[in-house]
Amino acid sequence: MTLLNQIQTVRSRSRQSGSSRITDEQISDLVSKLQDLLPEARLRGNDRVPSSRVLQETCSYIRSLHREVDDLSERLSELLATSDMSTAQAAVIRSLLM
Amino acid sequence: MASTSSSTSVDERERKRKRADSTPSAGAGAEAQPSKWRTRREHEIYSSKLFEALRLVRGGSTAASPSTAPARGRAVREAADRALAVAARGRTRWSRAILASRRRRLQAAHRARLRAPACPPSRHPSAAASASAAGKAPALARKAKVLGRLVPGCQKLPFPALLSEASDYIKALEMQVRAMTALAEVLASVSSSSSPASGSSSSSSSSPA
Repeated sequence: MTLLNQIQTVRSRSRQSGSSRITDEQISDLVSKLQDLLPEARLRGNDRVPSSRVLQETCSYIRSLHREVDDLSERLSELLATSDMSTAQAAVIRSLLM
Repeated sequence: MASTSSSTSVDERERKRKRADSTPSAGAGAEAQPSKWRTRREHEIYSSKLFEALRLVRGGSTAASPSTAPARGRAVREAADRALAVAARGRTRWSRAILASRRRRLQAAHRARLRAPACPPSRHPSAAASASAAGKAPALARKAKVLGRLVPGCQKLPFPALLSEASDYIKALEMQVRAMTALAEVLASVSSSSSPASGSSSSSSSSPA
């Protein structure tokens, strides 16, 4: 089942039963999936990590990804300003086809 | 040629990594939705959309010229985020929030507040009751709030939905970084190998690494 399906199942189940509880097991399952996404340097594949630590690492990872995207945007804007568009386009298409 | 071989090797490495990434997830029968960010096809789709958007940005900037570097960089960042949100095909909240916020801003700018901003926030009034599992520690709640602010459009989401959005968002961001890096490599090799014969007085940067 996809992650979204799991959540929807939990929601509909809880609506039926009248309670709005989401089990801790569900939460820790989601947290461990999130943990698997983190790069190896940040405690990936480590079993006994508290959820708060995972959340914290997730936040700093997202922040660092944002920074990377910002830096790349700067670099791309400079490159675009000075490049000849037709050669650039040909090169991009070529690189995508390879 | 050195330039093409360097970009080829970058693509080779990426392709190998993508194949290595996609085969285990396909074998485990894991969710198709998040692992799509790792496929080469998605990367190609995003790269070409991104390049088209960047062409428009460049065309616009030579005319109305926000010629300051940070403004251009911001325009590129917004185009990249928009292309990423479109690539998500409306299935995730963060992607809808990115597109909605841009539409809101454009309306405010173009109509100069003649009309009240009409876009309703794209948040469902769902499951506020199930906001947290019983007894979630305050430290966890605080960090969840920070996370909710980092992922666009996810500030008031219940915890499980927030985690799911965050994991998809991270995978999408990683693809965005890979695609923009590859694009920068291609453009750098183009501008450094563009000979004097091209006539453009490009203040060419130093040779690509």
